[in-house]
Amino acid sequence: MVNRRHFLRIGATVAAATAASPLKTALAATETQSKASSESGARQYFDEGGKDYSYLRGTEKEAVPSACWQCVSRCPIIGFTEDGVLTKIEGQPNSIRSLGKICAKSQAGINQVYDPDRILHPMRRTGERGEGKWKRISWDEALGELAEHLKRLRDAGEPEKFMFHYGRMKGGTSKLVHNFLAAYGTGTIGNHTSLCEGGKWTAQELTWGSHYDNWDFDNTQFVLNFGSNIFETHTNHISTAQRLITAMVDRSVRLVTFDVRLSNTAAKSTEWVPIRPGTDLAVVLAMCHVIMREGLYEAGVPFLEFCKVTADYRASVDDKIEALKRHVKEYTPEWASEISGVPAYRIVEVAREFATRRPACVISYRGAVAHYNGNETERAIQMLAAITGNIDNPGGRCKAVGASWNYPKPKKTPKTRKLDLLDGIAGQIAFPTHHVSHQVFERIKEGSAGRPEVYLWYCYAPVYANGDCKGNEEVLKDESLLPFTVCVNPFYDESAALADMILPDTTYLERWDWEDMVSPTQIPEFYIRQPLVAPMGESRNFADVCCDLAKKLGLKIGAKSMEDFVEKSCKKTKIVKKKARGFRGMRKKGVWHNKRDKPQYFTYRQDVKDKELNKETIIFDDTTGVYWDWKAAGVGSREVAEAQGYTHTKKAYRGYVAQQFGDLVYVGFPPDKVNKSGYFEIYSSLMEERGLPPMPTYMAIPEHADLAPDQLVLTTYKVNVQTHSRTMNCRWLAELYHDNPAWINPGTAQALALREGDTVKVSSEIGEIETAVQVTPGVVPGVIAISHHCGHWQYGRFASGKRAPEGVDDIPDRDTRWWNRNGVHPNWVIPNSPDPINGQQRWMDTVVRVTKIKST
Amino acid sequence: MTTVSTPTMTRRQMLKRVGAATAGATVVAAAPMAARAAKHGKQEVRYAMVIDTRRCSGCQACSIACKSEFEVPLGSVRSWVEHVEVGKYPNVERRMLPRLCNQCSEPPCVDVCPTEPKKATYKREEDGIVVVDDSLCIGCAKCLEACPYDARFMNPFKGDPVKTKGNGVADKCDFCLHRISQGVQPSCVNTCQGKARIFGDLNDPTSEVAKLVEEYETTVLLREKKTKPSVFYIDADYLEAKKDPKADQYFRLDTHRRELSSKRWA
Repeated sequence: MVNRRHFLRIGATVAAATAASPLKTALAATETQSKASSESGARQYFDEGGKDYSYLRGTEKEAVPSACWQCVSRCPIIGFTEDGVLTKIEGQPNSIRSLGKICAKSQAGINQVYDPDRILHPMRRTGERGEGKWKRISWDEALGELAEHLKRLRDAGEPEKFMFHYGRMKGGTSKLVHNFLAAYGTGTIGNHTSLCEGGKWTAQELTWGSHYDNWDFDNTQFVLNFGSNIFETHTNHISTAQRLITAMVDRSVRLVTFDVRLSNTAAKSTEWVPIRPGTDLAVVLAMCHVIMREGLYEAGVPFLEFCKVTADYRASVDDKIEALKRHVKEYTPEWASEISGVPAYRIVEVAREFATRRPACVISYRGAVAHYNGNETERAIQMLAAITGNIDNPGGRCKAVGASWNYPKPKKTPKTRKLDLLDGIAGQIAFPTHHVSHQVFERIKEGSAGRPEVYLWYCYAPVYANGDCKGNEEVLKDESLLPFTVCVNPFYDESAALADMILPDTTYLERWDWEDMVSPTQIPEFYIRQPLVAPMGESRNFADVCCDLAKKLGLKIGAKSMEDFVEKSCKKTKIVKKKARGFRGMRKKGVWHNKRDKPQYFTYRQDVKDKELNKETIIFDDTTGVYWDWKAAGVGSREVAEAQGYTHTKKAYRGYVAQQFGDLVYVGFPPDKVNKSGYFEIYSSLMEERGLPPMPTYMAIPEHADLAPDQLVLTTYKVNVQTHSRTMNCRWLAELYHDNPAWINPGTAQALALREGDTVKVSSEIGEIETAVQVTPGVVPGVIAISHHCGHWQYGRFASGKRAPEGVDDIPDRDTRWWNRNGVHPNWVIPNSPDPINGQQRWMDTVVRVTKIKST
Repeated sequence: MTTVSTPTMTRRQMLKRVGAATAGATVVAAAPMAARAAKHGKQEVRYAMVIDTRRCSGCQACSIACKSEFEVPLGSVRSWVEHVEVGKYPNVERRMLPRLCNQCSEPPCVDVCPTEPKKATYKREEDGIVVVDDSLCIGCAKCLEACPYDARFMNPFKGDPVKTKGNGVADKCDFCLHRISQGVQPSCVNTCQGKARIFGDLNDPTSEVAKLVEEYETTVLLREKKTKPSVFYIDADYLEAKKDPKADQYFRLDTHRRELSSKRWA
């Protein structure tokens, strides 16, 4: 095993020995090659990848297929190693998702492994919490102590006081860790989805049931974009972005982007339409108005059969059209123009184009949904797609298709108990289906739902990633609120610095997993992650640590290690076992898909077998037209189920089987997390029951009314070479992007007497930051745009300039950080404030005052 | 509202055009090819890159692909992407320009290389790639000055410290010679998600680069310097905007490099 110190030295040795000219090596290789060429004619075509050669030695590098983890897209990759050192990462050429391409972040994954500021040993704090004094301890000691705490809580019948909080946990790791938590008995499991796009998912769950939308760019004729920065940061980034740009150039597909900021996506769009923050909803509703008024919904008529548009699911299509017309009548382009700043004629033109170029795809992301009215914006976007027939069709907005793995599960689990910390302030959020993680600390502080005695977080940056950094720090530091805290992390970030104990995790390039990310081709792809290099130091994969803890606690969780879990999953997943040659085949190939699979479209029109409908435990719910299995939904008897009805039975959606559409019965749009019907619900009775508008309805952002001249709306964004909070330690990425002066429109700058380079104070109700100003016409007036990523005050030298407690100092000169600025983090001034319907953190709504404190 | 590189051709039109171009190419286009080959003496192969900026989203994957392929020191680049922002709100554009060594047919960097009897930096006769022989380079940096494109840097981690007086050697893109000589695409080409970078032999009329150069109106950087670059750009119309920025027009160039060079290439 090459340890980090050794690796750093390799760099130096190689440098000294370079008089052994790499050119000569390459030249020697050319000679052989040109001989081969002359025999087979001039070579014009080169391999697209899958191989790499050392530029110094000319030798072929060892190639190992694996999967990226820098962002949630999790693209299949190939890692290339020389003498056990990872020197290059490329895309997996056999992937039907990424087509062998990866982004800048993915390639800089090498920097994660060889970050000089990694944590490589378990550590326990010796000073005050947050003081930065640490002592190395052994794994035995660390896990012994943790297991003692867990035993004590379990024996006292309070397993829920062990709170597990993850940030990104996907694929097999998520399953195995959940196996452990279920076997232990805690349901106090936090996530961070409300920081990402949980609100978008809730809105989709209310309309078409499950969450995640795939955009079928390969087959589309037009793309309408509300607030997605797909060319820089999408959750399925490379797989979709490359298809979009190819569609635009090869097939002249037009992309129209509504955004407050000229992102690279807006810049590459056929047209950028600047829009005031939080007003996308008005524009979408006005587009629906144009389409209904001008009768451009013809293509949507067949789909309306599958939509619920009125309180009565049996309504005729004509009634539905009338209801839609009535609902959007007031939302004129002129009205929307007044609100959004988008000229009315542009709304009309784009609406017409969207409705008449078929198929067309409407896409959306945080620019549209991380607002007070985000739920309604996404629901309105779903409505826009539905009335033009662009749902789950080739070229439209499709339902997600990913690999479906079978995996080991624990045989017996206790009934879980949980603390009610996850869903925000009680009663405030109507549908927190992806939780309200940014309010977890507030809930802990306030205390009415109890507090965890052990708080362990994994792949999560609670202090940095949530709003209100100061508030987060206060809670995490307070031993009276959180008596024992454990951080699982390969790096010393802002949150790790406040832990009682740190367990050194491996990076994703040193561990096992299976993956299942959504495919842009509507055909599932199976793929695995395997270690490209041995874990550095004493770092250990957290899933393996869970296996150890399970052993110490006498729990059976279905696998003895993550590798074992992946191997067993390959066995249990029949198609992988049979067709992909199981674990061995997956290790060798990395990715696999069934060549016989056809793309999945129109999934809602699948028939349901009579056998399934005629099962004894199936009942028909007359108020919704849903066939459901009361037993599968966990109800005690048919009588109780019938008396309560589908809608009002807790978690009835688990028993959903099919939907009646007129005379026919189809799979429909099955619910997930809420008891909606199998219709595509433009009209949501669930919303109505909560006193919310059943149809997507305009809501203004309360704080944005009547702003004073020095008040601006703070909008946040992400760039192409960084993730939200976990890549600034990558030196190649930090070199490209480490500073983030605030973008202000020239008109706004003039009104505030600001010039390029001035230093300003940006203050909100919860705090203030200082930042430099960048005056650019690439942002709408009245807005200040500050990116995430920057302003780290820990996370190692490349991110913050600060050495981690156990950082190594012999960084080779070639890796010397030359930049001094590291920008500013906007979350100090952004409160943890949820969308009232779904709990999404409102990243784009904060009102700030901007005052000059220093001229250039 | 901004309009950036609007593709106006339909696929059918495009195919028609390509069809016509390739059908005629074998006969008609053979003339310039032959002329070019003749001019370069025995050079059979002329490696070239076409950069189709319509397909570039500025993602910087090429920058990192290069950085990792060659362990390029922080602060230096062999390959990079420039972003040019121009316009007046709301008519603003940002355009991307991937950059690398132009592998000039008349390379000014070679002219100034002082080493005898063999130049440390030279153009390979067999394929036109301009290379640096680390074992010959004395680290004088004259080639850095001579390059009008700012494509070179001093790499203190390479070369003989005595011979180069500790300056290191001149370094720059070599079209990934160690990869192409093994039949693999250059690292930046391999990773380009939009397939904006296309690499091949310009002297082979059947190669994609030759076809693209024939079919499209391409630009090279600083044509007036008569360096005859082997890197051709499709739809890099903003080169003109750069040369003649209107005094009252907003203009921002971000090279993402350590320093904005004082001797910008345009």
